[in-house]
Amino acid sequence: MRDEPYRWIEAIQDRRDYIEDQLRLGSPVVGLGYNEGMVMLTIGRGQRKIFEVHDRIALSAIGHPADIERLRMLVTDTASVQGFQNATEDVNLHRLTNFVLAHTFKQAFESIVGEAFIIKMLLAELGNAPEQNRWTLINYDGNVRTDTVASVLGGTEIIEERMKSYLANAPAQADLGLNAALQFGLETWAVGKELSLRDSEDPEDEPDIDAEQMRAIVDEALKDGEIEAGVLETTQRGASKFRLLSPVEIQAALEAWN
Amino acid sequence: MNHEEFEHLAVARGPVPREPSTLSARSALLPGETNHKGDFLSLLKHAGIETGSALTPRDTGARGPVPHDIEIAHSTTVIAVRYRNGVMIAGDRRATAGTSVIYDKAEKVLQIDRHSVLAISGSPAIAYEIARILEHSFQYFRRSQLQELSLEGKLRMLSRLIRDNLAMALQGIGGVIPIFAIYDTKNNATTAAAPEPVTHERSTENGGKIFFYDALGAHFENVDFATTGSGSIWIRGVLRYLNRWGETRLEAMDERQATITILRLLDTASEYDAATSGYNAKAQIFPTVKTVTQDGVGTVSDEYLEECYAEDSTQ
Repeated sequence: MRDEPYRWIEAIQDRRDYIEDQLRLGSPVVGLGYNEGMVMLTIGRGQRKIFEVHDRIALSAIGHPADIERLRMLVTDTASVQGFQNATEDVNLHRLTNFVLAHTFKQAFESIVGEAFIIKMLLAELGNAPEQNRWTLINYDGNVRTDTVASVLGGTEIIEERMKSYLANAPAQADLGLNAALQFGLETWAVGKELSLRDSEDPEDEPDIDAEQMRAIVDEALKDGEIEAGVLETTQRGASKFRLLSPVEIQAALEAWN
Repeated sequence: MNHEEFEHLAVARGPVPREPSTLSARSALLPGETNHKGDFLSLLKHAGIETGSALTPRDTGARGPVPHDIEIAHSTTVIAVRYRNGVMIAGDRRATAGTSVIYDKAEKVLQIDRHSVLAISGSPAIAYEIARILEHSFQYFRRSQLQELSLEGKLRMLSRLIRDNLAMALQGIGGVIPIFAIYDTKNNATTAAAPEPVTHERSTENGGKIFFYDALGAHFENVDFATTGSGSIWIRGVLRYLNRWGETRLEAMDERQATITILRLLDTASEYDAATSGYNAKAQIFPTVKTVTQDGVGTVSDEYLEECYAEDSTQ
């Protein structure tokens, strides 16, 4: 390989283009902190996308369902074994990301004769205080990005940038209740969805949609999809802090969104 | 560039290392090789981890009963009663070895998941390990299979762990007889609006369930109450009497009535069983009392227990 670097780079670039093409239309995922924890949401069509990994760690991803499942099981199994072997407090997102996931993603991506993972993954870790909350995004090539307040998963980097700049307008975490967080999350999702449907790579292409249009985009998506939302909640009894929101809670947030 | 060329390049580059450097070499797990159908024990085995040496019979050279000079911590009284909101389950705090009290703050009522609790009697070393494996197994099933393990599945998992411990139990050093209390959320029709207290009439069903195990792992559902441990022989008859002829049936009791009843029973057991502690007023050590209801597992606070003791002593 060393004697043919250009062919290797070309192969990697082809692989990158192929994966990004596959990810482009993925339904975005929004993650943001609220006054009682962290919430992740998306709109899907039956395939579950938000998962509990460990007591204080949750996961979501866009990509091929089989790859999502394989890597979800990898991180869940590793966290479970580690939590049993040592203590549940010893399982943390930093170690799972850097010693298990990022490495696996990178290795698969660069092994050009093997199968690549068509996936982008977002993990959330609930800290002991809001400033210790962590969002970690792992790209298909193993690159890692960490945020503290909010994060998004979108089909392309441009989509993610636009969604993040919309999220930057969110009220301070301490002032954001669950319903308001869900509404803000759905608006951000609508921004990402709108951009993913455009055939544009122009970084200047602003979504420029108002609240009414955001609601219309969400309503349109709900004709054949459903909102999925999971929270890591500080108020949850016991060590496990994750739960999926019930349809009743999601409906209440939708009704309050006017 | 065709596929053959890729293979050629790969050969030139050397073999692709496929094994990720996981958190621990012994727990190396690879993507795609980790489907254990939600069975946590299989996952541990795959990762090269033995499930608590005490739970695995092995040839240690030990034969027959344990030598008399090894003192194993044991003895207890634990009680579970079905009351109006679900199950109340309690245990004393004393751990003894022979005639010595070795610890007075032992926790014998352990939360396993959001709606289940294990009360342990017997050898604490084994019992704690069983509780730990059980807790991780239920969690792993939920996280990997994306659904809660069924009630029957949970009961069988506990049976399996107790059965696996048979060799230790037969040697007389590791016997564990637990009570498993669970709130079956699929059977909760009446719990949202708690009924008014009734006396001498059977109240409507709630989802609280109590299961009793034998040393071989067989489980039996106790409809109204269960008690185990060395002090249980002193109070089983009292429980039966209260439930049959008491002013208020156990399952019609509210939380305060049930708490006071349980405290009285533990006090009675401690009066006759040296291995059971009562309420230690001087050291402010209270029994552990937990509730298992539709809302999940709750712990009755020491302040509330103190209040109940005070109220009871003035009657």
